[in-house]
Amino acid sequence: MDQHDSTFGVQLFIYDLSRGMARQLSPIMLGKQLDGIWHTSVVVYGEEFFYGGAGISSCPPGGTMLGPPDTVVELGNTEVTEEIFMDYLSSLGETTCSGDKYRLFEHNCNTFTNEVAQFLTGNKIPSYITDLPSEVLSTPFGQVLRPILDSIHIAPPGGNVISSQNNHG
Amino acid sequence: MAENSGTDPAVETNTEENAAASATIIKVTVKTPKDKEEIAIAEDSSVAQFKEEISKRFKANQDQLVLIFAGKILKDGDTLGQHGIKDGLTVHLVIKTAQKTSGGGSSQTSASSGPGPSQGNTDGSANSSPAGNLGTPQGSAPSLTPTQPPNMLAGFGDLSGLANLGMGSANFMELQQQMQRQLMSNPEMLSQIMENPLVQSMMSNPDLMRQMIVANPQMQQLMERNPEISHMLNNPELMRQTMELARNPAMMQEMMRNQDRALSNLESIPGGYNALRRMYTDIQEPMFSAAREQFGNNPFSALGGNTDNSGAQPSRIENREPLPNPWGPPDTAAATTTSGTATTTSSTTSSTTPSVSNPLGISSSSLGNGMFNSPGMQSLMQQISENPQLMQNMLSAPYMRTMMQSLAQNPDIASQVARPSFPKQQLMQQMLQMFAGGNASTPTPEVRFQQQLEQLSAMGFINREANLQALIATGSFGDEIWKSYSAISSRLPL
Repeated sequence: MDQHDSTFGVQLFIYDLSRGMARQLSPIMLGKQLDGIWHTSVVVYGEEFFYGGAGISSCPPGGTMLGPPDTVVELGNTEVTEEIFMDYLSSLGETTCSGDKYRLFEHNCNTFTNEVAQFLTGNKIPSYITDLPSEVLSTPFGQVLRPILDSIHIAPPGGNVISSQNNHG
Repeated sequence: MAENSGTDPAVETNTEENAAASATIIKVTVKTPKDKEEIAIAEDSSVAQFKEEISKRFKANQDQLVLIFAGKILKDGDTLGQHGIKDGLTVHLVIKTAQKTSGGGSSQTSASSGPGPSQGNTDGSANSSPAGNLGTPQGSAPSLTPTQPPNMLAGFGDLSGLANLGMGSANFMELQQQMQRQLMSNPEMLSQIMENPLVQSMMSNPDLMRQMIVANPQMQQLMERNPEISHMLNNPELMRQTMELARNPAMMQEMMRNQDRALSNLESIPGGYNALRRMYTDIQEPMFSAAREQFGNNPFSALGGNTDNSGAQPSRIENREPLPNPWGPPDTAAATTTSGTATTTSSTTSSTTPSVSNPLGISSSSLGNGMFNSPGMQSLMQQISENPQLMQNMLSAPYMRTMMQSLAQNPDIASQVARPSFPKQQLMQQMLQMFAGGNASTPTPEVRFQQQLEQLSAMGFINREANLQALIATGSFGDEIWKSYSAISSRLPL
């Protein structure tokens, strides 16, 4: 098999969807301090990949409506080539990460990012991000809002959806 | 070599026949995007052997398998131990599909991320180029360079930049609706938006505002029915005033409240109430249906459209806007365009109408006769009694006050509340009175709570500090509760 030794850097882009409001309002509304409503994406091969109500999408890094990320975390390096990664994403997009499978609390952009991060580097994303849904749901207000929130799909515009048919031309 | 190719799914028999002498079997989870399997294999197997097993289990050709662990691609010649693959760890697997399209470079349109009211579809090869150039700088294998990831295909052009808060959806209308919902349920957000210089500049452009408002078909309908509205829209002075107002939500609220009060005074005039009702049905209903339907389009159009005409109606209308029951099940959290009179209408589901003064959009129908009997209200009561903290949280939220004021001013509520036929109504009554009683200026806590402090000490709570703290903490809630309490206690033979 033709192998190469170069590795690709993998980064995690973290966005606060609430633009700082969660930090201010969460003590009032939820009774606990949440520093942000986190949306994450993986940046590798010069592209940003994220999962939302539209399925897995990609765009130039920082190219969604959200603008530049609030935080960037280095996840490590990967030997996985782009080709393999795209295969992986296509499969993922067909099965567990299609648009309709998006669930704000259980299966959201951060779930996806966590998976991808582990796939590419073996590392997980910081736990405060993946813990967010349970943090919210453990408050009475979160429980009250849950039915409403469940129906929200977050899909920052600016990306192109990756779909399997593209892969096979 | 007794067992030969005994395809025993449970245990690895193949490894025994292989060179690997030691029999430490480890269980490694192999995970694909689609599923995962646990594979038992000897600890010191080679990757090739591992792949053999995998190919059997996943029914794929060994050549198609790409194993990844900790970001590294496992080469056939390596051993599992080399990569640190131990018992219980997970290895990722990608099964390569047969053909790779080389260069899926059809024309790609990417959604532009620039803000702008139009939903244009901008053609950009933004995605193509970085993808295409990817090959070289990253130093991927030459076989990859011609292949720009074909999956970056377009099709997403519907939604290009509309300034939003990052919450959106593929569907423009949905986006709008969501945004509205977010906005109206959270006035803080609204004020933040208002402060955004982009929004400010937009608002200061009367032409733009007018365009946006007029562009909406519902609004157009409304304008036909009610020519005064179009008149207002065409009057630049008025527009500018309106926008000044809209720009400053506090001022807006203030104005609305004043008008509300004025209108409630109207009610006391004989025949005045009927006039109001007429006014309401004439004007508010169409506005409502318009606002409701075009909810997605322009959050400020209703605001703008509402400060029209004699100036009296709209804010009154604002106040009567149905507020969804925030504590009820979301389906019943509704806006209905009922006349604000005693007729009860059942709540229907729909989105809330925008209003700064009614951010929660509590349904006016549920605030009608059936208020205290509505399931939402009851669940509220229940929740409150179970969780006083919740009550505290809710009441301390900034928008509660305005909401309660609206509630109180609604003549239905007033009549409801006056009827002491329900045990919990006492509480509600007090609550409403408290919020209706207003808030305008707040002198220092000590002064404010002068009376209460006296009463407290009369009751035996002599620690003035603590009393003050408690009174402050409960805030205005305490304020009015105390008033009511003292009112009641003075009448009761204690």
